[in-house]
Amino acid sequence: MQPSHPSELGRLIEAVGQNRDREAFARLFDHFAPRLKTYLMRAGANPGAAEDFAQEAMLTVWRKAALFDPARAGASTWIFTIARNLRIDAARREKLGQREPDLTELPDDPEQPDTILTGADDAARVSSALAALTAEQSRIVTLSYFHEKAHAEIARELGIPLGTVKSRLRLAIIRLRGLLSETQ
Amino acid sequence: MSTITYKPSEETLLAYAAGTLRGPEAAVVAAHISLCPDSGRLVETLQRVGGHLIERLPPTRLGENAFRNLMARIDADGGESVVETALNEMTDLPEPLRRFPLGPWRWLGPGTRVRSVGVPKDGDCRVLLFKIDPGRRMPQHSHEGVELTCVLSGSYRDEAGRFGPGDFEEADEATDHRPMVDSDLPCLCVVALDGQIRLSGLLGRLIQPFARL
Repeated sequence: MQPSHPSELGRLIEAVGQNRDREAFARLFDHFAPRLKTYLMRAGANPGAAEDFAQEAMLTVWRKAALFDPARAGASTWIFTIARNLRIDAARREKLGQREPDLTELPDDPEQPDTILTGADDAARVSSALAALTAEQSRIVTLSYFHEKAHAEIARELGIPLGTVKSRLRLAIIRLRGLLSETQ
Repeated sequence: MSTITYKPSEETLLAYAAGTLRGPEAAVVAAHISLCPDSGRLVETLQRVGGHLIERLPPTRLGENAFRNLMARIDADGGESVVETALNEMTDLPEPLRRFPLGPWRWLGPGTRVRSVGVPKDGDCRVLLFKIDPGRRMPQHSHEGVELTCVLSGSYRDEAGRFGPGDFEEADEATDHRPMVDSDLPCLCVVALDGQIRLSGLLGRLIQPFARL
């Protein structure tokens, strides 16, 4: 069975946290490690460094699973913040073997309506919030998650000043806040 | 807690949530977030977006023994869960700053003390804690890049306004300021700094070579 339902993934993290459940951990690993590798490759790491990073992130998942609180964050949000914290750690970032990210390999596909309809709870809300942005806003926001120089790259790509990219990004974030903050 | 007037820009909070800020900058933003529920909520929202983006990424094949190697590592170190312990004695610091060791307090001029925060440096950028007495000014310094400040206690005033606990100020090369502490108690602030600090006055110039901050 594919553990792709968000709350199912959360239960797997709890099983690791409470019982050191290796079977549950294996399923989390199968689901997240290959995506974390993609994440870092898109952020500009070479495949080897991205794989080391995915391993490191999953090791942290094992070690911190007991701290996971499903009432505070969904499984993928929690794992994203673990990966994010590793990425911020400058000492580790040195080892990521950064190269210039290639914009063509960055995601720019719009949210698919079927994800919006079938995705569960929070995933569906985030998905429809992103879908409510203009295509350009959505692209600027998405690119911002993948690499530091995103704004300069976008400005060059779209032929608009950096300040304009930043103000469009700001508007997009304010829009997302509005769409995602009510009734939480 | 007094109301927080000055917050990081939306794009700085997104860069924090996304993990694209440099470590020293992220530490100062994290201190602000722990004092500002409003910024914290926005960051949580942006982390949900991050979780969603991870979920949507296509998987990339890992090396053949990736999982087995990881379990071997876990077995080798006992697989214990980690508990984040405080690494310094300043119990009044916001929780994100308690995870870093601190250097000794150093004298930087009358009523001005500074200690380094053990966040790994990124290039020239590092984190410092300043403690400045009422009525004193921040030491003169150049801005060779960005400078992020979060006030932890007390307050200071500069051309941009009055900054109290939790307030966040972003300065860059274009900013030329020497904030003055206007609270009754010393002002404690945490700063991520790129440029050099130039000590003013004869004494400052004498100790400059030793004060490499």
